[in-house]
Amino acid sequence: PLPPLPRPHPAKGIHKCRKMGQDIRNTVGNVPMEWYQDYPHIGYNLDGKKIFKPIRNKDELDEFLDKMENPDYWRTVHDKMTASDIRLTDEQVDLVHRLQKGQFGDVNFNEYEPSVDFFTNEVMIHPVTNRPQDKRSFIPSLIEKEKVSKLVHAIKMGWIKPRKPKETTPQYYDLWAKEDPNAILGRHKMHVPAPKMRLPGHEESYNPPPEYLLTEEERLVWEQQDAEDRKLPFLPQKHSCLRAVPAFSRFIHERFERCLDLYLCPRQRKMRVNVNPEDLIPKLPKPKDLQPFPTTMSLVYRGHTSLVRCISASPTGQWLVSGSDDFTVRFWEVNTGRCMKTLEVGGAVKSVAWNPNPAVCLVAVCFEHTVLLLNPSLGDRLVVSSTDQLITAYEPPEEDKEQAVTWALSEGLEHNKGHRLTLTHPKAVKQVVWHGKGDYLSSVMPDNSSNLQVLIHQVSKRRTQNPFRKNKGLVQCVSFHPLRPYFFVATQRYVRVYNLIKQELTKKLMTNCKWISSMAIHPGGDNLICGSYDCRLAWFDLDLSTKPYKMLRHHKKALRGVAYHRNYPLFASGADDGSVIVCHGMVYNDLLQNPLIVPVKVLKGHQITHDLGVLDVTFHPTQPWVFSSGADTTIRLFT
Amino acid sequence: MSQLQTRFFTDNKKYSVDDVPFSIPAASEVQELSNVINKLLEAKNGSHSQIEFDFLVRGQFLRTSLSNHMEAEGISTEDVVEIEYVERFTAPQPEECMMHDDWISSVEADSEWILTGSYDKTARIWSLEGKAVMTVAGHTDVVKDVAWVRRDGLTSLLLTASLDQTILLWEWNSERNKLKARHCCRGHAGSVDTIATDHTRTKFCSGSWDKMLKIWSAVATEEEEEVEEPPSRPRKKQKTEQLGLTRTPLMTLSGHNEAVSSVLWLDSEEICSASWDHTIRLWDAETGSVKTTLTGSKVFNHISYSPLCRRLASGSTDRHVRLWDPRSKDGSLVLLSLTSHSGWVTAVKWAPSHEHQLVSGSLDNLVKLWDTRSCKTPLYDVSAHEDKVLCVDWTDSRVRHQHTSSLY
Repeated sequence: PLPPLPRPHPAKGIHKCRKMGQDIRNTVGNVPMEWYQDYPHIGYNLDGKKIFKPIRNKDELDEFLDKMENPDYWRTVHDKMTASDIRLTDEQVDLVHRLQKGQFGDVNFNEYEPSVDFFTNEVMIHPVTNRPQDKRSFIPSLIEKEKVSKLVHAIKMGWIKPRKPKETTPQYYDLWAKEDPNAILGRHKMHVPAPKMRLPGHEESYNPPPEYLLTEEERLVWEQQDAEDRKLPFLPQKHSCLRAVPAFSRFIHERFERCLDLYLCPRQRKMRVNVNPEDLIPKLPKPKDLQPFPTTMSLVYRGHTSLVRCISASPTGQWLVSGSDDFTVRFWEVNTGRCMKTLEVGGAVKSVAWNPNPAVCLVAVCFEHTVLLLNPSLGDRLVVSSTDQLITAYEPPEEDKEQAVTWALSEGLEHNKGHRLTLTHPKAVKQVVWHGKGDYLSSVMPDNSSNLQVLIHQVSKRRTQNPFRKNKGLVQCVSFHPLRPYFFVATQRYVRVYNLIKQELTKKLMTNCKWISSMAIHPGGDNLICGSYDCRLAWFDLDLSTKPYKMLRHHKKALRGVAYHRNYPLFASGADDGSVIVCHGMVYNDLLQNPLIVPVKVLKGHQITHDLGVLDVTFHPTQPWVFSSGADTTIRLFT
Repeated sequence: MSQLQTRFFTDNKKYSVDDVPFSIPAASEVQELSNVINKLLEAKNGSHSQIEFDFLVRGQFLRTSLSNHMEAEGISTEDVVEIEYVERFTAPQPEECMMHDDWISSVEADSEWILTGSYDKTARIWSLEGKAVMTVAGHTDVVKDVAWVRRDGLTSLLLTASLDQTILLWEWNSERNKLKARHCCRGHAGSVDTIATDHTRTKFCSGSWDKMLKIWSAVATEEEEEVEEPPSRPRKKQKTEQLGLTRTPLMTLSGHNEAVSSVLWLDSEEICSASWDHTIRLWDAETGSVKTTLTGSKVFNHISYSPLCRRLASGSTDRHVRLWDPRSKDGSLVLLSLTSHSGWVTAVKWAPSHEHQLVSGSLDNLVKLWDTRSCKTPLYDVSAHEDKVLCVDWTDSRVRHQHTSSLY
């Protein structure tokens, strides 16, 4: 900013120039004179010439001498602008005195002059107009009368009611109305402002940078896209000047969509509950507290040359039998891993089952169309010989009935090898399973086209029954109830429970699985697990529901075998991913308490061969040990 | 680096050094200490050759640096530390390899002969040089355990127990190399897995899979004992087996809930048995009652007792060797567990002449020599076996262990 224009100093300057005949007014204006401290001059006069400072400044001593000697010292003032001393005249001193007293500067001004009225207060005898008074000023108004009569009529008719007396009761109001989000006031408080529209960007510009303009291909793509899929709802366009911009054709559309957005998308404040996600996980006991359960691989039983499909432990826990695709059945000593016996059979062994009765030493083996009952001659000699006696003590009944299978007693060389009875079935047998007492045994021949799928054999009487008249689907596996006369039949998707005495269907369990592979019954008899090829394990509580109590999806691949432990609250499942998962499955006697299922250990050890991992699992009858057989030709013991 | 005042001493006069305190760096380990002792011995005796030593501080083997060990044991570093040193045991090389055709289930050595039982249904007698002297054949099934009973000059009595539920008492004349089955002990209803002869050499005890322990007389007599046969047993089987006179048990001890895996005599009146029901039981041989029960958490495979230190060592189906005090009344108290194996411990045996040493065999193919003063690491591993180790035994002071040799 420019410095203020130099203004002529009032009074003094004029006085000075008049007095000295020479104009030395400083033209620098109202600026701090310290700015000129270091210069020889102090400003500029009207002609633009420098005003020089007096050559010698007065010092303190000069000042003092001047004060003592000069009688006019008291009326001398220093002018900073010109750096000169000025002696005030008598008039000037007088003016200063007057101003100090608060009087007018002009001596001749009289502030108390007498006042003169410009208007008379006397009443004149002549009026301003001569017009006579109106008649209406003497008579009552008709219009008013009409209005009054109308009001009176209205009051009479009851159209106008007297004013209600004011309520004297105190007024209450809901102090917390704003707190309730459902009340109107509460909603006012919870008001969520509408979200702002996005501000226009470069692509909305009438002259966007070239990178925002679509190329020809992009434009074609844009045109072919659905309106919802487009990234931009319009095509950026370039105009040479603002004047050339046409009207925005989508304006109504855009407003309408905005209104729809505001109207149809409810806005509400989300009440976020602060919950620690850890708290939502159900409290399960630590696996450490649930011991004993198998944790490490201890023994590997080697000897088979092809995949081991099935294993079964003897009721005493001393022996293990395994059946393999190399057409052999092997008997192992559990605690050393020694193969005690190898028996060749005429086909790939599909299933083996050791008779659960400790007083009988029999092993059922099935391959192709045959179920073979073997006496392995292991264990107590007494039991072995009494088993042989039991088989030879059979006397054929008088009337020979036609049976579905042919029973043949082995003799000679085969007898020495351990074969006792051969049951030749009409179809390929997939599974054999013993009843808990050890006299009955069931065999499964999966075939979707006939009702001859499940057979129940009685060994002591060499009798065979077909319990089912109808075909209810492809049977996968069967099992006897450990205590009661129930029979479990698993088809592809359902498990049916039959009462063998009443000969009726008791229950039908929906597994929600695509294809059941295996099944095991809890030794208590009230629970059941089903493994399926779609990687699931379903636990059923038979007292609770026909739907699974729990679905476990721990395996990555199809389950092949499931097993319960006889004494310990454990169950295990083996799958094609080569792992055995051991779970703690506690069943309580209290009917109100649901079973406690905790996965405790993943046991790995089997190699995956031809996409097959573990094929069968079974528990040791007395110890918390689990055996698993795999496609890698080994059986492994985990303890 | 801090220094420690130490004083070295040893029982072995051959390697003794002056009884003066030495200043040793606190961080020194076994190798450095060993070098120090070797230097001292060289200074004393010019013809001294380098020897590896092991060091004991207050009865514990030194396995880390000296300062760490003393910190762990809570020994003050202000005082002069007394360090005992002994010659280090180095892993022995197998002297003899006795080739069996089949797995060996048991081994028992005495001062001259070694008796082995095998899965090929025979037992064998070997000389200490590894020469097969005699094959004891008579069982119809796998021989599970063997034991020497007594030696009167050239004739000795020996026992073999088998999976065929019998125990045979044999008389063997080592000069004429004649073997004769004297008695066939019947009565078990399961495979006889373990036998033990008592200290008087007149009785023996057997443990079986049928959960029973039976005490039998080990004296060979001529007269036939009265046999109470259960009527269901086939008569003809007895007649075909001409395996000496049938003998019945003097006493049956029942109480175990699972198979008996190992049995031994603590003294002439006390029997100790280990079982698959996770217990070790001490029995009174006179009355046949259980005196004490030691409860573990795993199946016991084998136990061994040392009269020198009066400790019981057990090998079980986890990786640990555990030491027990059989006299403690409160039962389930493990004194020490020795952990280094990676498989089931199938056999343990105390050294007959050394109160701290025991040897253990495991399914991880290793045999380890332990010292109870060093519970973290064994003194050495013997890794000569190529398959599972099933049993071990000592001869005099050397260890002898047998294993499963699959058909050489």
